[in-house]
Amino acid sequence: MKKTFIIPLIMIVAAIVIITSATKDVSTYGDFSTATESGDRLKIVGKLAKDKPMVYDAENTPNEFQFYLVDDKGAERKVLLKKPKPQDFERSEQIVLTGKMSGDAFVADEILMKCPSKYKNEEISIKSES
Amino acid sequence: MAQMSYAGETLWIGYACRLLIIAGFVAAIMGSLSYFLAFQNRAQAALEKSWQRLGHIGAAIHGVSILSLIGLIFFSMITRKYEYNYVFEHVSDDLPMRYILSAFWEGQEGSFMLWMFWHIVLGAIIWFTDKKWRVPVLSVLLLVEVCLNSMILGIYLPFTLDDIRIGSNPMVLIRENMEAPIFQNAQYLSLIKGRGLNPLLQNYWNTIHPPTLFLGFASTVVPFAYAIAGLWSREDKAWLKSGLKWSLFSGGILGIGILMGSFWAYEALSFGGYWAWDPVENSSLVPWIIMIAGIHTHLIAKNTGAGLRSTYLFYILSFVLVLYSTLLTRSGILGDTSAHAFTEMGLEWQLTGFLLIFLLGGISLLLYRVRTIQEPTKEESMWSREFWMYVGALILAFSGILITASTSLPVYNTIIKIFKPDYAGMVLQDPIEHYNRYQLWIGVLVSFLSGFAIFLRYKLGKFTRAHAIQTGFHLLLAGILTYLVSRWIALPQWQMILMAFAGLYVVVSSVEYLFRVASKNIRLGASGFSHLGFGLMLVGLLASGGNSYHLNNPFLFKGLSDEEGFEEKYVQLIKNKPLLVRGHMVTYESDTLIDRERFYTLDFKKIDKDLKVLDSFKLYPNAMYSNDFAKVAAFNPDTKHYFGRDVFTCVVNIPSHLTDAEKLKEMEDTIKYEQIVVAPGDTVEFNILKFVFGKVDLSPQSPDYLKSENDLGLEIPFEVYDEEGTLVDKSYTTIGMKGALVYKYPAKLESEGMRIRPSELTIDEFVSPEDDLQYETFDLKQGDSYTFGDFKIKLAGFDRNVKHVNYQAEEGDLAIAALLEIEDKNGAISTQKPVYIIRGNRPFGLKDYDINLGLHSRLIEINPSDERFTIKVAKDQRNENKMVMELATNVPRSDYLILEAKVFPGINYFWAGCLLMMIGLLMAWYFKLKEPKKQTA
Repeated sequence: MKKTFIIPLIMIVAAIVIITSATKDVSTYGDFSTATESGDRLKIVGKLAKDKPMVYDAENTPNEFQFYLVDDKGAERKVLLKKPKPQDFERSEQIVLTGKMSGDAFVADEILMKCPSKYKNEEISIKSES
Repeated sequence: MAQMSYAGETLWIGYACRLLIIAGFVAAIMGSLSYFLAFQNRAQAALEKSWQRLGHIGAAIHGVSILSLIGLIFFSMITRKYEYNYVFEHVSDDLPMRYILSAFWEGQEGSFMLWMFWHIVLGAIIWFTDKKWRVPVLSVLLLVEVCLNSMILGIYLPFTLDDIRIGSNPMVLIRENMEAPIFQNAQYLSLIKGRGLNPLLQNYWNTIHPPTLFLGFASTVVPFAYAIAGLWSREDKAWLKSGLKWSLFSGGILGIGILMGSFWAYEALSFGGYWAWDPVENSSLVPWIIMIAGIHTHLIAKNTGAGLRSTYLFYILSFVLVLYSTLLTRSGILGDTSAHAFTEMGLEWQLTGFLLIFLLGGISLLLYRVRTIQEPTKEESMWSREFWMYVGALILAFSGILITASTSLPVYNTIIKIFKPDYAGMVLQDPIEHYNRYQLWIGVLVSFLSGFAIFLRYKLGKFTRAHAIQTGFHLLLAGILTYLVSRWIALPQWQMILMAFAGLYVVVSSVEYLFRVASKNIRLGASGFSHLGFGLMLVGLLASGGNSYHLNNPFLFKGLSDEEGFEEKYVQLIKNKPLLVRGHMVTYESDTLIDRERFYTLDFKKIDKDLKVLDSFKLYPNAMYSNDFAKVAAFNPDTKHYFGRDVFTCVVNIPSHLTDAEKLKEMEDTIKYEQIVVAPGDTVEFNILKFVFGKVDLSPQSPDYLKSENDLGLEIPFEVYDEEGTLVDKSYTTIGMKGALVYKYPAKLESEGMRIRPSELTIDEFVSPEDDLQYETFDLKQGDSYTFGDFKIKLAGFDRNVKHVNYQAEEGDLAIAALLEIEDKNGAISTQKPVYIIRGNRPFGLKDYDINLGLHSRLIEINPSDERFTIKVAKDQRNENKMVMELATNVPRSDYLILEAKVFPGINYFWAGCLLMMIGLLMAWYFKLKEPKKQTA
């Protein structure tokens, strides 16, 4: 069985190499200040600044949606999302964006929203009169 | 709160369900334990027999209890017993029967019951077909059932600090589950309606995908149970024969289940892809990969006796990884790293315990037995089939380990956060790129190994000249094919070229295998099909994954926009305005509402450089409204399938006021109308445009206007000209009255951002109440005429063929219309036809009315003796023929959509490849099933 032991050994070595090389794929969630410092592409968690304007001009820039995000540290920046305005955007409780800083704005091309589940609200709908 | 008695509740169902849940739980414990003792005491026949009998009883009670429970829950769902939480949460009055199954497994409790259901089915098959192994196997299976059953127990442990809850009973009463003022009302049940099924899940995929996937998940317990039975009995080789059937079945079904999910996502959801390396997807893929690794070592073990330990390990891991997948997807631990929504149920620790029991139990048993497992001491030759198969299995396992290691990041984060609460958490920055980079090599290695090893023999240690020539030939052919493929799809990196080469190598090798070996013995063909499928899948992945592109605006080049590197993926389509997107002319033609879905008709024309139409087709992506129709719940795609490519389309955005009733109201409220007064034929300048209004029409053509008896409708046609006098629009606007209610149907000038509608003042102007009219009476003979104000009225004749908007002929009616010719002061002639009817001795008349003249006429009497007609005529009290119109500017447009259109080349190779893999597995299973019994040792 010696040869068959060599192969797992090679794999263990390969695994170590892969894991060390894959550490660059992984990082902590960023915020606007780390994004400005590094200039790298990263993920930012935050909340929608509901008092600031949201702009989606479908006619001229269907691929850009502007809004303001407050990150975990409380910093607020303009976000240019390179997508149409997502469904139920206003209802989002938390937003995760992937992108990088460009000037004063954070340019993102990916978004994940956490919305309150439609079926979790504790209200009971009453039958409408018909 | 005082005890109340509530009306209309069917309480016995809840009691019965609670009883069945507990009975099932206790019986599973009894069955598992009895089978355990039976197998432990297998040396003493009498003792074994009595324990066995008890085991059978326990298993039977468990099975019957759970099946009855499922039946009762279905009964209460079908009969809409909203007093029960699970029914209330998942069913509604308007839910079609065909979605009852989907509603059943929408919730976590339902999917646990689906899982148990399959275990009971599989357990029953084992009980009837494998008398030799059923006792230890069912002992393990029932232990799993104990754990699953505990997930729906819904009891609180007494004497604990925070009332620790074990499981969640789906059939608790809704009033026990939540507090709301409505439960003060004894009649609450007649007031509530169910929440119903999430509209996203109301399609047939959700009827077939979950049961298949859960059958796949459930079936992994069988190889696991056989492996445990093998370890336990110390008969390490005896279980291999029966066990292999089950692992082949499990591999095939689990694979199909995953594939269905992938196809559903691609075909019916807005993801715009079929695999995104999402944690939820990964965690169901890994058990399958490990199962496949187990099948390969199992085959080695069966043929050579080697690889037993690995087989044990893989089967244990495959099942435990199914549990891990359950933990990940149901605990809410994935949080913001997964696009699939799963809510937590508060049972994370129970699931973790469940996982640890089987992980630690299985691994400890394996470690305890590992030194006593008999494997051949002779080392296998480098040139035997088992050597390379074994390497391949290890690589598959390695793939599973890598995927799990990365997918588990949220788990590490959660664990670290227990000790360091302010820990920020690590996350994969670009998951798809990360997984693709490493898994590509797995694909390459597995291809070369399987393509090469399939022609080697077990136990034979020779690499012949013939084999070398054959391999060289395969490599050469694969090279040529790779070149051809590279002409078809772009392979920008050398790794991709290598992957294409590897995939094509296994394709070539499997095809030869199928023709040379399997054509003589079909039973050997299964592996050929599976490996061929694997190769095709790799080619399909490169084509559809690496070469997909968006149909977008070719005039927006990268770099022209201020941020570089972001592709403009989406296009705006305005109704009836064709747009050129990368060789296709797309037109948004219309939209149609069918049930709760609005379908957008998109016309695609594939054109060449000279704008010649090569091909044209229509696609109908849709927007689906929520159950109460208040808003758009989801956008669903539509795809045109060609043999070599797919054109995928999905609407991603529509004007926000069309997505939500509330937003529509908000938008309507912002529209400010200005009034203008015009006469028919007038030209009015407004907002640099010229409007020409026509005469009022009493029979509106507007499709929105619904004609019914009491309705009065006015419609005003108009034309719009621009500054240069070119006609830019021609439309009409309508106003309707029903009783005292006024309905306005504004004309929408989308490109001008304008709306036009008549004011209700127009109705007042044109329609006078009958009481305000002052009629004059005339007695006329045919041919006579009379002057009334500015009008000259002539009785031109009469008409027995009566047609009148308010007249419906009945039998026995005597009806006649007078034919009045009316000449106004300008000499223009018009006609009116007032009607006189005798129905059952009772005479009555129907008046005619010319809205533009303001002239009313009635036929009062006919004197048959002297053929004189008595006619009454009246004129409106209006001063002039003026219409009051309302115009609004700066209205947001409603006639566009934002579209994602994406071309997936060669995606059919991916589907066909995946399907072939699973068919190969199921073929192998089928042949094993059909194997003559006597070979069983």
